[in-house]
Formats: sequence, structure tokens, C-alpha cells
Amino acid sequence: MNKYILSKKTVVNDLATFYSFLIGLFVAVCIGSIILLIQDQNPINVFSLMLKLSVGSINSLSNSLNKAIPLILAGLGIAIMNSVKLWNIGAEGQIFLGAIAVNLIYININISNSSLFIFILLISGFIGGAICILLPAITKVFFGVNEIITTLLTNYVIIGLTVYLVNGPWKDPKSLNFPAAAYVGKEVYLPTIFGKLSTGFLICILFAIGAHYLKEKSVFGYEMRIAGGSAMTAIYAGINAKQKAFYAMLVGGGFAGLAGAIELLSQTHRVSPGISQGFGYTAIIVAAITGMRPIGIFLVGCLFGALTIGGAVIQTIGVSSYIAEIIQASTLIGALISQFFFTYQIKEVEDA
Amino acid sequence: MPDIQLMGLLNATLQAATLLFIAALGELITEKSGILNLGVEGMISIGAVTGFMTAINTENLFLSIIVGVLSASLFSSIHAFVTVILKQDQTVSGLILTILGLALSSLLGKKYVGKKLMVKVESIRDIAEPSNIFEVLLSQNLIFYLAILMMITTSFVLKKTMFGRRLEAVGEDSRASDSMGLKINKTQFIATCVGGAFAGLSGVYLTLSYVPFWTDNMTSGRGWICLALVIFGGWKPYRTALGALLFGFLEALVPRLQTYGFELSPYLVKIAPYLITIIVLVILTIYKEGKTGAPGNIGRPFFRENR
Repeated sequence: MNKYILSKKTVVNDLATFYSFLIGLFVAVCIGSIILLIQDQNPINVFSLMLKLSVGSINSLSNSLNKAIPLILAGLGIAIMNSVKLWNIGAEGQIFLGAIAVNLIYININISNSSLFIFILLISGFIGGAICILLPAITKVFFGVNEIITTLLTNYVIIGLTVYLVNGPWKDPKSLNFPAAAYVGKEVYLPTIFGKLSTGFLICILFAIGAHYLKEKSVFGYEMRIAGGSAMTAIYAGINAKQKAFYAMLVGGGFAGLAGAIELLSQTHRVSPGISQGFGYTAIIVAAITGMRPIGIFLVGCLFGALTIGGAVIQTIGVSSYIAEIIQASTLIGALISQFFFTYQIKEVEDA
Repeated sequence: MPDIQLMGLLNATLQAATLLFIAALGELITEKSGILNLGVEGMISIGAVTGFMTAINTENLFLSIIVGVLSASLFSSIHAFVTVILKQDQTVSGLILTILGLALSSLLGKKYVGKKLMVKVESIRDIAEPSNIFEVLLSQNLIFYLAILMMITTSFVLKKTMFGRRLEAVGEDSRASDSMGLKINKTQFIATCVGGAFAGLSGVYLTLSYVPFWTDNMTSGRGWICLALVIFGGWKPYRTALGALLFGFLEALVPRLQTYGFELSPYLVKIAPYLITIIVLVILTIYKEGKTGAPGNIGRPFFRENR
């Protein structure tokens, strides 16, 4: 009798991650269709409407790309942290603290040169995100406290802080019952490229290329990989693994904080509990689906931005916007499952 | 000296602790087998919504509990399939379970938001204002006693039965266990599904007793506190229960602080449990110098090399 065993493939296709993503997306669309059918909706109609309203015109396309900005930036931050084999589940909180930092600086200082002011505000956002991850970073690096749980719980703390600020010290009396801080002035709005697309998208492209360089080509990226790979190797190579992990975490948090700053200066224009609608969590899917590759994160981020916009607009015809989230999550599950078939094979061996 | 209503506080503590403890105990069993499941939040949500839907439609409590437990367990089998059978990353898979679970439960529960429940898991004895500890205990419901039973049983099974010893062996060293002939995949698959079932019961407790209604994202991070509880408890059932009591006490105490005469912003008070959880976790890890008692193989997929 022959039996079947599992073995690792010696050669894995270079494009395995990409194919897995496509298969995952196909599976997710199928799952989405089934859910739509159960709800008495015609999937073809719904999906074509989603497509039309997310990429069909300059306006809708720019909306989609605007939504992609926080997903891409936070996703890049997650990927950088993953170089040292650490997980950042706290991007959501970092986005909020980035926006809070921007507002704090905006209220307290005034610079007449508006481009310089915007530049300083963006940097404050980055620093805000880094501050948000400071506690998890210190406790992880020095005491080995599980960063997954600390970064996640930080989200609840920061979102609570946001709710406190917009109901208390920062509450705009003009916003009546809706809890929000006052709008920032028009002079610090990020300019648009075309349609409604903000210059934040250019920053995104720049950071995606930068993250690619940092991860794949730079000395720091190389040292991060070694530090994350094996503690012993790092010691032999004279690399301070703790220091690398610490910096990677701060930079990762900073990326998400910058996303919050851009969101505030180009979209919401004020601090409110609606600054991020789960971008930090979707960014985890985006980063994981691409195997933490910056260029992939950029492309999948754009697609998921369009999906989010598509999901939001189909609410008007009575379809739940959760369908978009379910499609995003199922894409990753589908991708994980197909990844298995690219990396493993089932061999038939003769039973001894 | 303000009236602190000690018995009311104790009652709320026990209820909050029950909710946290059941899911944490399930996660403990899963982690003992070497599988990390970060999807607790999602699994609780699925259990909560399916239990609630069944209760609204059938008004049959027993059936609702069964449906809640089974659907959460079925949901967790996605994680088991992806990580145990297909050897994929446990962190990623667990996170999707949370994201997917929250989205799916919101989708399922959309029509049930704001609906009033006609049945509810009742207290053993209906006591309006318990005046001593005995009466507080009596005013808990069946699931509370079930949780105590589960705590004792789990501890016994883990320590004294062959199944429990094998489970721990698999989680400590899969490779050695495999060469001893233990069925790694089967053990881990079962442990993950049991963890899901426990989380489902916790979810049912949430919607059929703790806050008898359904709204989106009502788990509000409790699943993550459960994960912290397992670390806090050093992967031991009794110590996890102690942790659950402590965190339950915080959850019960915080909204009462204002009535006790403390001048606090209600918004800031809401973040206290999360902040305290982080601080407790940090202090505990420092105190134990990193020796947390985690199963040796946790998070690492088991793969038998070609032989």
C-alpha cells in the first residue's frame, strides 16, 4: 500500500504570492456573490455598479485613490516592522494619534508660509504615530512583552483619547451634537493633483519606493532581516538586534501616523472619531496578502481603496457595506490557502 | 464615605469575569496545543450574533446556546484548516478570523440591531438586591456555574488525563511528540475547535445575559483582553480565572467610580481597563523575566520533513 506525505517544494515560483492573490481575489468574489444572492441581489449588477462608482470617473477614481493612501502607508509601516518579525496591530491607533498630533501643533503654533506649515504638520503626524508605538516598542525590546497584544490594546486607548478630546477640550461648539474638533484652516489643506486626488498620493508613491529601498536594498534593511531572522546570527554579525527592532517599530508607527496626518489635512479636515474607518486593520490584510512587499502593498492598497469606496456606495441600493470587508478578508484566506499549493506538494511514497 | 454597594460591585465583577474567563480558557486550550489563535474577538462575535438570532427566532434558550457554541467552533475550524492542515502563518490567519468575524457578525446581525429579547438566561434565584456573598452567587446564571465546572474539568483534564498530557506534549515539542506517535494535526485541530466553542459560549453569555441585545462591535476588545489573560495566567486554568476576576473587577469598578464621588471624565474612564491591561501585562512579564510559561511550540507550524 502506498501512502501520501507532505513535502516542501524545492523550487517555489517567484510569482507565487501574486498568483495566490489572484486566486484569493477570485475566491472572495465568489463568496461575495453567494452572500449577495442570499440577500436577493444580482451579484453582476452590484459588482458592476461598484466598479463604475469606484473607478468609473475621474472623481470616483480620485476618491478611491484617496482611500488607498492610509491603507498603503499603514501597510508599509506594518511591512517594515515585519522585517524584524514583529507585528503591528496598532496602526489604527497610530493613525488617530498622528491626526491628534497634527491638530495639537496646528492649534499651538502658527507659521505664515503655508507649505512650510504643512510640511511641519506632516512631520508631527509621523512623530505622533511613533509616540503611539513607543510604549509597546520599549516594553517589547527591553522586557519581551508581546507586541501584538500591546499594540492592539493601544488602539482602544488612543481611540478613547480621541473621543475624550472631541467631546471635551477640543469640542467645536459649532459642530452641535456631532463630537468633533474645529476644522483646520484652508491654508493647511493638502493641494490636489487632479480631480479630488490629494498630493498625499505622491507622498505615498515616494514612501512605497523608499520602503522598498529600505527593506530590500539598504544596509539597515539587511540588518533588520538578520536581527529578525536569528538572534545568534545577529550577535555573530555584530548587529544590535534590539536597537534594530526598536527603530523598525518607531518607523512603522510613524508611517501610520503620517497616514493619519494626510487623512486629516486632505479628507476630514478636523479630528473626529471618523478619522479612520478601520484603515489600520485593513492595512494588515493588505500587507499580509503581498507577503510584506512594498510595491505589492502599493498596488493592493489601491485596489482595496477602490473596494472600500465601492462598498460604501452600494449602501445606497441597500447592500451592506460589510460586503467589502468580507471580500477583503476572504481574499487573504483564499490567498493563504493557495499559497499552500505553491510551497508544498503531496508526494506518494511506498510504505516500508 | 459614599455608599459603595459592595454586593452590586461583586455581582458585576463576577458577570464581567465569567464572560472573559470562558473565552480565555478556550484560548488556553488552543495555545496548549501549540496553536495561537488571535481570532478570539471574531469568534466571540460569531457566537454572540448566532446565539442572539436563534433566541429571537425560536425563543428556545437551550437551542440558542448550542447554535452559538457550534457556529463559533465551526468558524474557528477555518483557522484550524489554514494553520494546522495547510501550515500557514498563525498570526495572519488569526487576525483575519477577527476581521472576518466582526464583519460577518455585523452583516448577519444587521436586521437584529435594537430587537428586544423575549428570553434570557435567567439567574438561579431572582434576587433584586443581594445583601451577602451567598445571595450574589445565587443570583448568577447557569453559565457562571458552567464556567466554574469548565475550569475544574479543564485543569483536571490537562494535568491528569492522557488526552491532556498528550495535548501539552504536542504544544511543547511537536517533533518529539510526533516521533512518539502522537497525532499532531488531529490534536491541534480539535484543540482549536474547542477553543472556538468556548469563545462561542462566551459570546452567547454576552448577548443572552450580560447585555441582552445586539449591536455592531459589541465585543469591544474583550477578545484581546482574553488573550492577555492567558499570558497573565501563565497558561494555567486557575490562575487565568484569578486574572479574569481581576479584570472583571476593573470593568465593573470603572463605571462606578463616578458614583463613588470621583470627579472623572466618563470618556477617560472608558480607556482605563485597556490601559491597566497593558500595564499589568508589562509588570507581569518584567516580574517573570520573560519566563511566561508559554508552550514551547506556540505559533510554529508543525511540518514533518521528508523522511
